[in-house]
Amino acid sequence: MTAINDTLNIPRQPSAPRTFSKRYWDGTREKKVFLQYDKKTGKYQFYPRANSIYTGRRSDIEWREVSGKGEVFTFTIARRCREPFRGHEPFFIVLVTLDEGVNVMANVVNCSLEEMKIGLRMKPYWHPLPDGTNLLMFEPDRG
Amino acid sequence: MALRDAAIVAYAETKIVEKSEVDVWELSAQILEELLDKTGLEKGEIDGLILSSSQTGAGNNFWSQTTADQLSLEVDFCQMVDIGGCSPAGAVARAAAAINAGLCTTVLCLYSDTQVRENNNRPRSFALEWTQPLGYLGPPAAFGLLSKRYEHQFGLDYRALGKLAVAQREHAVLNDLACEKLRKRITVDDYINSRMINDPIRLLDSVMVCDGASGLIVTSRKNAEKKGFTKCVVPIGYGERTIYNASEAVVDPSMTGHKPAGEKAFKQAGMTPKDIASFHPYDDFIIAMMMQLEMLGFCKHGQGSAFINETDFLYTGDLPLNTGGGQISAGQVGLAGGGTNLIEAVRQLFGEGGPRQVKNTSNALVTGIGGIPYGRNWATSVVMILTPNS
Repeated sequence: MTAINDTLNIPRQPSAPRTFSKRYWDGTREKKVFLQYDKKTGKYQFYPRANSIYTGRRSDIEWREVSGKGEVFTFTIARRCREPFRGHEPFFIVLVTLDEGVNVMANVVNCSLEEMKIGLRMKPYWHPLPDGTNLLMFEPDRG
Repeated sequence: MALRDAAIVAYAETKIVEKSEVDVWELSAQILEELLDKTGLEKGEIDGLILSSSQTGAGNNFWSQTTADQLSLEVDFCQMVDIGGCSPAGAVARAAAAINAGLCTTVLCLYSDTQVRENNNRPRSFALEWTQPLGYLGPPAAFGLLSKRYEHQFGLDYRALGKLAVAQREHAVLNDLACEKLRKRITVDDYINSRMINDPIRLLDSVMVCDGASGLIVTSRKNAEKKGFTKCVVPIGYGERTIYNASEAVVDPSMTGHKPAGEKAFKQAGMTPKDIASFHPYDDFIIAMMMQLEMLGFCKHGQGSAFINETDFLYTGDLPLNTGGGQISAGQVGLAGGGTNLIEAVRQLFGEGGPRQVKNTSNALVTGIGGIPYGRNWATSVVMILTPNS
């Protein structure tokens, strides 16, 4: 099994919410994933925006809690980084397609190089940030 | 749009260097002087100024007018184009539009950036909130994600990508203005064995950021004739698309805005990919060129590797590719880097390619790529088809 850094020892900054993404970050305090949902089209979107990517309208958006489970859409192995990640390579950066149909970019824990593949089922792993919010990471969903 | 009522009557380019010893405005002044020398124009005849994006200029909200002031240009049309790597070709289209609308007659399109010497960029985007906390290195990570997905969907022949890298290096060796550090021949094995940055993106997939400048004079064809410019290059087709598939939450990253932009440009030009004499695609990463071959219709979607294997991309070959080395082998002049692909296309159509002159100068296709959004491929795609006036 080829070890790959889980990045948990890297010091991270507090979250930096905008007015329209605050609901997402507030949800992470309780380790919950909240996504924006467009009421007109019945579709989700991520990252949070000030309006609907489907209709362009702000008023079509509401927030819904989701499981945060999904599968790997694609991944890369970061081997050369800037501070504070420098020296902690290699580590994964993945895009995970949540079951609600949005892609979320994240780091990965508890996963070897051999296990990682496109289509691998993933579940949330929460990593505390200094402001009491949590960073959404993923680990393989082996259950 | 009467794109073809405008003409490029002169081009200029500085040496591309790892770090500029002089200020960005000094490089800009060099370009202006070379263009005045080549055209015989007085500076007062230039009544429009269009700048590319610039990491050095990024700290100034008044970049185009400040630059006009620094260069003592009195103009009736003044703007900066902020679509990143698409801005040099985008500037030519905007110059043509402004000339056609009667806003001005003779435009200096100026592409200067000294990102290594002085980077004033402070991006306000998704990055601070969504990607910086992940150790995401921007473009190399984005292209790592994109390449892995492409490989999953279609398979990816890395030796085919290496063939493009080798061809561009051959061209950089023949280009005195290319960054010296990069003017060394490489082999496909060198490409394959170069170290991984963001798997499967290797060092030799990637551009090296450099400093430099380039520029063009665009005027109305009527004025070009009046002034007796016998040699000029005319844009006959242009397409531009920003945030392709904006209304989709999960996009196929192998599909890009070059598809609609290319269809538009080919239609305007009355051409098909088979007609293209030389190809000067924006090259921030090698795979981007393969994807453009697919999206522009040189081959089918997903068949890029096979097409590369059966095509000769040298300046003597059947589809000459970035005959000055492209940005990967000549150096990326920051956000003005698209000027390198564009100027080389114009140079070839002027018949001034020197030791790397292509035989068929009936046209050239230039593209741009600009900006990297979250979880997609790139923000803006442009396609421009150029032809000599004769």
